[in-house]
Amino acid sequence: MPDVNTPPPAAAGPGAAAGGRRPRIIGFLCDWAVSAEGIVGDDGTMRDLPNVSLIKVPCSGFMRPAWLEFALRNGADGVFVCGCPLGDCFNRLGNNLIRDRVVQMRRRLERQKVQPDRVTTIFYGLHDQAEFVRAVREFSEHVAALPAPAPARPRPPAAAGTPAKPAAAGEGQAAPGAAAGSGVPPAPGAAAGGGAKGSGGSS
Amino acid sequence: MYKRLLQRLLGWTLSLDDGINRVYPQDFNPLYYTGGLSNLFLTILVLSGIFLFLYYVPSFNDAYTSLQYISGVGPFAVTGVPYGQIIRGIHRYSADGFIIVILLHFFRNWFTERFRFSRDEPWISGMMLLLFAGFIGVTGYVLVWDQRSDLLVTMTGRTLAAIPVVGGALQSALFGGPGLTNLLLPRMLYLHVGPATFLYVLLWWHYVRIRHPKVWPPAVWTLFSLGAILLCASLIPAVSQPPASPLAPSSRLAVDWFFLLPYLGLKYLTPAWLLLIATVIVVYGLYIPYQLPETRAEMGIRDSGVAQVIDANCTGCELCYYDCPYDAIIMAPSPHPGVTRAAQARKLLAIVLESRCVECGICIGACPFEALELPRFLEKDIQAEVLEACRT
Repeated sequence: MPDVNTPPPAAAGPGAAAGGRRPRIIGFLCDWAVSAEGIVGDDGTMRDLPNVSLIKVPCSGFMRPAWLEFALRNGADGVFVCGCPLGDCFNRLGNNLIRDRVVQMRRRLERQKVQPDRVTTIFYGLHDQAEFVRAVREFSEHVAALPAPAPARPRPPAAAGTPAKPAAAGEGQAAPGAAAGSGVPPAPGAAAGGGAKGSGGSS
Repeated sequence: MYKRLLQRLLGWTLSLDDGINRVYPQDFNPLYYTGGLSNLFLTILVLSGIFLFLYYVPSFNDAYTSLQYISGVGPFAVTGVPYGQIIRGIHRYSADGFIIVILLHFFRNWFTERFRFSRDEPWISGMMLLLFAGFIGVTGYVLVWDQRSDLLVTMTGRTLAAIPVVGGALQSALFGGPGLTNLLLPRMLYLHVGPATFLYVLLWWHYVRIRHPKVWPPAVWTLFSLGAILLCASLIPAVSQPPASPLAPSSRLAVDWFFLLPYLGLKYLTPAWLLLIATVIVVYGLYIPYQLPETRAEMGIRDSGVAQVIDANCTGCELCYYDCPYDAIIMAPSPHPGVTRAAQARKLLAIVLESRCVECGICIGACPFEALELPRFLEKDIQAEVLEACRT
């Protein structure tokens, strides 16, 4: 779970993650977009931003939104996908597709009580390394400033290691997961989130 | 060497893009729409061409006069076709625009290596489109039948005569016989209109491996191009030179820099050399997609294998079919139900055409049912990498 190191829920508020540690960011980088040469170390983390790990993928359109959720569930505080400049995708449409998919994903994340701002898409061409690093740093700072999410996700911890379920199944699971996690009479909105927070601390 | 040159050119192309993106919204960067702009200019050419066709007379005696009638000049200052001069200007200047954007399209896709993998067919058809466009342009300049046309026919005849064995036959096939015959202008008219129609066949070939081709530029660029052409046509009227007279042939060619550039070469080269150089350029252009190393390992890029459909999971939902940018996925009637519950009622099954797949994985991102995988970059590989990254 992402926030085991954060202070207890009482202290958790905006900037909680920033105070404790730098947020852990995972970036998916298109093979054809900004060149990783010189900005990525041997272990896949960025030289300037050691809290950011880059994973190269064949095209930004290759990314399944489920994998972004998978990363968030397994300890990432923020996830981004970097593709070629919009309109100039090497594979013609990949970056437009991933942008649309991430936009669609925001609603699903909101229902799971995850701030949608933890997922983003950025678009930089082969030689825009400086701008790319700047954008990633901005994103990292933005994620650091976000309030810590409710530690208990509406998903049992056992599911963390198993492959992600299809998107439709994930939506279906939200209801039973919340009921099991909160253990309180179903209260809508913030009340349900608070209940989940309490029980999640013990898990 | 070639690779390094290509990389430098790629750098320049991308920095040009960047420069435009800095001053202009990225969604409307005209360099991202060179193909759509070409199609726009072609449409303008066809429409204005149909108009001119209605008035044009393909004979030595009347061709020049019919152009005067269209333009409303000379004896037709009063009785000429209304707005004919404007339409003629539109035809002339959109032809120039056509060649400019085609060349931009050509160089851009060359320098950004968009001829790789299954894109060799758009490349080859694009080369043909370029050749035909140039040829159509030259025949258009002959149709006017002014001094330039006369000179063009002479120069073309002389160049063709330099081809061994078949040169003479080619010449009479093109011009309807040796010297100037009455067949010349009708034949030129056909060679102007026929290949222009054939452009659409080539365009079909150009688009056949592309899903959702960007056929039109954004509306703002459509309007801008129309306005620019209209402005050019009214400010700089397209005019003929003095009429052609075989008795006093002109010796100076008024060069149109977009169409008649090869003829300029005749000033410095013998026809044989010019033909040789032109052949080399064309053959090299057709060879460009095959010049780089064939296998992905040699190219130094990821080799994840052609996307594979997982029969058990495919629900026939067509999402991959809609998203595949290369039209490499077809939906076939499902021969048997799938295994998962969602796949049991399927009517269709996705099938990947290996010859078109470029292994980009966009279908994998499109599939919400985990029914597609890249064989050497599986979902579990991604998940392992994510977990690894989370552990560090």
